[in-house]
Amino acid sequence: MAANDKASKTETAKEEQDSPILIQMGIFAAILFVSSLLSPLFPASFPVPTPVMGLVILYVLLCTKIVKLRNVAKFGDFMISLIAFLFVPSGIQMAANLDIMKAQGVQIVIVTIIATIVMLVCIAYTTAGFMWLSRHVFHRNTEVEE
Amino acid sequence: MISLAATATPHMAVWGKWLGDALGTNAAGASAGNAIFGIFLSLMVYLIGQWLFKISKGFFLFQPLFVGMVLGIFILFLMAKAFGTDTATFYKSAYLPGGNIIFWFLNPATIAFAIPLYRRNDIVKRFWLEIVLSLIIGLLISLFIIYFVAKLFGLDNSGIASMLPQAATTAIAMPVAVSVGGNSAITAMACIINAVLIYALGDFLVKVFKLNSDPIGAGLGLGTAGHAVGTAKAIQLGSIQGSMASIAVVVVSIVVDIVVPPFAHMMGLY
Repeated sequence: MAANDKASKTETAKEEQDSPILIQMGIFAAILFVSSLLSPLFPASFPVPTPVMGLVILYVLLCTKIVKLRNVAKFGDFMISLIAFLFVPSGIQMAANLDIMKAQGVQIVIVTIIATIVMLVCIAYTTAGFMWLSRHVFHRNTEVEE
Repeated sequence: MISLAATATPHMAVWGKWLGDALGTNAAGASAGNAIFGIFLSLMVYLIGQWLFKISKGFFLFQPLFVGMVLGIFILFLMAKAFGTDTATFYKSAYLPGGNIIFWFLNPATIAFAIPLYRRNDIVKRFWLEIVLSLIIGLLISLFIIYFVAKLFGLDNSGIASMLPQAATTAIAMPVAVSVGGNSAITAMACIINAVLIYALGDFLVKVFKLNSDPIGAGLGLGTAGHAVGTAKAIQLGSIQGSMASIAVVVVSIVVDIVVPPFAHMMGLY
């Protein structure tokens, strides 16, 4: 059933025109503006940064069909395709922190590298474990279509 | 004033002032020209990375982001030497204005991850409980392992506290690190290393640990370990992976918000 939904969705998406790129940018700007107003309302002990707030808002707007994929997908997919490049300044930012590297030594970097692999593998294997549980203990169908 | 003028002949002084003005390292030039250098340098080093990646037929150390970062820092280091100042100062005056403009676009790019998430809403609706439980339990296990690895490498309490929140997106990880007695600059650096590493080694790690047999787990793992950049990697693997990585970025950040302070307290870090 879910698969049928998806098929009909992509069909209609083909028939309907993408919104002009400026309108798509306008939707993103409006969401960013609203999230920048909302995110300071959260207490300092529970920070919700503007882009995370915006992600949630756009997801809710898509789920409630207030915003349709054709209104945002072209600009959104373009921004996602740029993300590795957009990260270059963050990488170069480490130039300003070369003194921290000197002070704390190489250990921090090694621990971070190990931590990255640990997070990837732990989360992935835990998920595989939970999927196994719902398949064999709760007898749910966990087949997914690519 | 930081410029070549101090070190060179009068002929050189003119050039030094001209270059300093353009880069914004002279007081007088701290306006129009200075954002251009940061944008230009970022694009050039990234494009060189893309070119190297292509001619080396995809050698993992030549990932454009990694090359761009290393080459960019190296060029700033050399230029700082030539201008007779330290790298951090030169970075702030010459690179940062342009870098910040590019950095700003991470805001709309992060919001855009709602799109791949929504495209596989069927998976989210069917498995939301498994997803949330896996992220909470998986993160707790990771926290224990990271704590003991950090202990093993002899980090002090402040160093360990800086390592714990790195699963969250930088803007959340930094204040959490401070609240558990860590150093937010180290945490920010850890988040950057996460992303660069996952982008360079993601395919390799997925293959070695055979993660792709469970696309939901692979996606959640990539989103947690690699943040937004990991999500971009996950989208290349498939729509389910991309959708799951997007949801991981949001949910893990909130879980870190809630779980890391009591965990650090339990471990006696602060």
